[in-house]
Amino acid sequence: MAASAKGDFFDSSRAAVQDHELQRKLESASTRHLDHFAIVKEEFPSYEDEKTAAHRIKTDAIAHLDELLIQLTDKLQDSGCKVFFAEDAAEARKYIVDLVKSKGAQHVVKGKSMTTEEIELNPALAAAGIDPVETDLGEYIVQLRGEGPSHIITPAIHLSKEDIGQLFTDKFGTEYTAEPEKLTAEARERLRAIFLAADFGITGVNFAIAETGTLVVVENEGNGRLSSSMPETFVAVMGIEKVIPRLEDLSHFLEILARTATGQKLTTYTSFITGPRREGELDGPAEMHVVILDNGRSAMLADPVLREALNCIRCGACLNVCPIYRRIGGHAYKSVYPGPIGSIVSPNLFGSAAGYLPFASTLCGACKDICPVKIDIPRILLHLRWKETEGEHPLKWPAALERARSGARRFAGIARHPRTARLLGKIAAQMLKPFAHNGYLRWMPPPFGNWTKYRNFPRPHPQKRRPAPAENQAP
Amino acid sequence: MAEAHKILATIKTALEAGGQPDGHNHAAAPAPARKVAVTAGAERAELATSLARELEAVGGKFVGILSPDEVSNRIVLLAREIGATTVAIGEGVSIDMEEIGAALERADFKIVKTVPVADVERAAMRDRVANAELGIAEAEYGIASTGTLAVISTGTRPSSLTLLPTASLIIVQIDRVMADLAAVLASLGPTRLAEHRMTLITGPSRTADIEKRIVLGVHGPKALHLIVVWPRDE
Amino acid sequence: MNEVQLFSTCLAEEFFPEVNDAVATVLERLRVKVIPVRRAFCCGQVAFNEGLREEAVALARRFLKSVEPSKPIVVPSGSCTSMLKIFYSDLLVNEPALAEKAAAIRPWIFEFSQFLVNVLKVKYVGARYERAVAYHPSCHLMRELGVRNEPMTLLSAVSGIKLCELRDREECCGFGGMFSVKFAHISAAMLEDKMARIKESGAEVVVANDCGCLMQIGGGLSRAGAEIETRHLAEVLAAR
Ligand code: SF4
Repeated sequence: MAASAKGDFFDSSRAAVQDHELQRKLESASTRHLDHFAIVKEEFPSYEDEKTAAHRIKTDAIAHLDELLIQLTDKLQDSGCKVFFAEDAAEARKYIVDLVKSKGAQHVVKGKSMTTEEIELNPALAAAGIDPVETDLGEYIVQLRGEGPSHIITPAIHLSKEDIGQLFTDKFGTEYTAEPEKLTAEARERLRAIFLAADFGITGVNFAIAETGTLVVVENEGNGRLSSSMPETFVAVMGIEKVIPRLEDLSHFLEILARTATGQKLTTYTSFITGPRREGELDGPAEMHVVILDNGRSAMLADPVLREALNCIRCGACLNVCPIYRRIGGHAYKSVYPGPIGSIVSPNLFGSAAGYLPFASTLCGACKDICPVKIDIPRILLHLRWKETEGEHPLKWPAALERARSGARRFAGIARHPRTARLLGKIAAQMLKPFAHNGYLRWMPPPFGNWTKYRNFPRPHPQKRRPAPAENQAP
Repeated sequence: MAEAHKILATIKTALEAGGQPDGHNHAAAPAPARKVAVTAGAERAELATSLARELEAVGGKFVGILSPDEVSNRIVLLAREIGATTVAIGEGVSIDMEEIGAALERADFKIVKTVPVADVERAAMRDRVANAELGIAEAEYGIASTGTLAVISTGTRPSSLTLLPTASLIIVQIDRVMADLAAVLASLGPTRLAEHRMTLITGPSRTADIEKRIVLGVHGPKALHLIVVWPRDE
Repeated sequence: MNEVQLFSTCLAEEFFPEVNDAVATVLERLRVKVIPVRRAFCCGQVAFNEGLREEAVALARRFLKSVEPSKPIVVPSGSCTSMLKIFYSDLLVNEPALAEKAAAIRPWIFEFSQFLVNVLKVKYVGARYERAVAYHPSCHLMRELGVRNEPMTLLSAVSGIKLCELRDREECCGFGGMFSVKFAHISAAMLEDKMARIKESGAEVVVANDCGCLMQIGGGLSRAGAEIETRHLAEVLAAR
């Protein structure tokens, strides 16, 4: 799904909360996720230490990003890579599309990469007459359906095996099966042929080591290995924040990334790629390009609070624990990056269309608890809320919600005068008293109308006298 | 690269605006490679056992800890067990793969030997490796805590060997098994790392993309076998 | 320590005055004199969470003027306590004088259960409550203040109580202040699941330490016509 897709978050999330089937899928998937995680964490006593180290290294790296990027660029070039810095998505797209064209490439394969989703590379390639093939199984599935990923780690988490079985039957005319083993085998067969014929490969990057110019790509299936080693031309696309100083820093990240992302100790494959293939080698590209993307990140860098979000290693754990993500799924966010971290980066990368997202949170903090690089997500969301409110172009809220906001503002004004506030409280209590039933109101005027659409509102009853204490036995 | 300078300048300005904690130059100096500590026999066996256990936990198959003399025969047996007809094999790091190749040939297996290729031969060589039912490679290191094997590719030991065949067999010397990832990266060092492509392999290729059910063998090998070898002089 | 300031919070004053009475009752039983903070009404959390910084600063100023330094301030709400104790430092970045005041009183601010268990070092407060109770831990209480065991410590010491296991109890009830109004549909979906867990727990009473959660869960149960009551922890501890 394009970052700029039409429709708004209110509509999409309203539809999503009605989709109980979706919730069932998300629930069972994330529970499985969390169970794995709990076990792994228990078996790994140094988990907290590794988190602390990872947080420290990343914070430090981000604070010296300019120097590290210069070093990385030098090393990449020494190893024979061509480096392109892209200021925004359009520049990155153009570079890659032009390159594909100039190579006359026929078969473009892609390993899993959220950054290429971010820059909307696939539609751009398609417009140039090239059909790239997503080779991560989950990405392959959503591409066949003509949608985007709904989770940054497990793109097809919103689909059941039956949905996928039906999809394969529709697309390939094969006999219907909902067995994951058979569906996977089918995809393997089809994609293997494509891999062997591919002449252009694209993947994302998990970490870039400045001291060596090495790109690190983690994955489970082998799509990253194949996409980066079979085609003659290979392009790696990375955000500016992926760079870490040294090889010795890496273990801290790898020790936690898979554990939080999937509950594995390490992912099945971790590729360390330093430059194109050497003389006589069978594998690796003849030509390797690295696209280093800013696209709004440097603006995040300039804000000391937001900067922390650049520590993100895209493990996806915050999505899995988020009670909101689990109710509405990834697509409802209308952004490539959904969930808690998505609510932070989306408004900064994609602008005001995603401006509501920082408000769409209870700030429960489950994300902050699980984040392997200790990003204080609720605090950053709060920061974005002020920035939005105090900014030059405040969001336009739907009328009823605008009323709720000004209600909050008025309340805050009144609450400064406790006596007045208490008096008004008593007046409200008197007025509402006749409508109350068992201590609750079924209907409230705006701005609380939205509240009473779904649940009752407690009857206001400020009083000084102590009422009877709670009954200590069932009546 | 005019754009690069522009973006780097933007980044620098942004960093200054957001506050830089300290001013020191942070470009990393290459760290010296740490010496590999020689581990005692008992400890080695323990590390190897842990490697085997962790690898089996992610769906790998542990063949055994073997003496160099046993290796060839055991591999012939394994190739038979999995019903292979063609076996792809490269050069070893310290193990004599020639000997293994010869034993397999004597047992009537077809052998694909990976040798440095010219550009025109590349596609054909890959096809042959891809059509093998078993690929044999030697790992540079094993990681006991995670069940991981580190393979480094060169002209005679391509990455394809552990990627394209239906099943993969990786051999590792027992004294190359280290406690954890940090130890391996330290022993390897940045200079060595930068010379080759390296892959850490932790189990057979797998996915959990369909309802989080784990399925092995998506794009890479469906099975991963491990043999740990005792050094010849012990 | 024989005197504390009790900051009621706006929600408790307006909707749950019985909570304040219960807090006072429990504290007085423990020989602590309770002085209500009458000159402040709201900590500013609602405004703060809504991005209305200016309004929130005004409320913070009011609050900081209304409390005495160097005397414990007890708050019967996890989220208001985190606002006072933690988020004031973010809110007041551009108000050095206020920030200093906030920092000075920070160590004196306690959530109710935290105060009982960690400061007064009590577990048993002489309560008797013969009902089946499920405890819902409020998010800010757990994750901002790190108060995870204290409420259960107190509840398990109540005589006659039957504690029910609440599955997924650490999951948010969906309140979130203005979120519950602006994104009411998502809030309600979260509440739905929370209520299902409450029902399956077999509890007759749900206990929480935050009036926001009580409002949300209570409103939901009332709409659903469920017989299950909602109570603040203090009310249970005050019963005998
Ligand atoms: S914010 Fe933290 S938990 Fe979320 S994806 Fe990034 S690293 Fe993972």
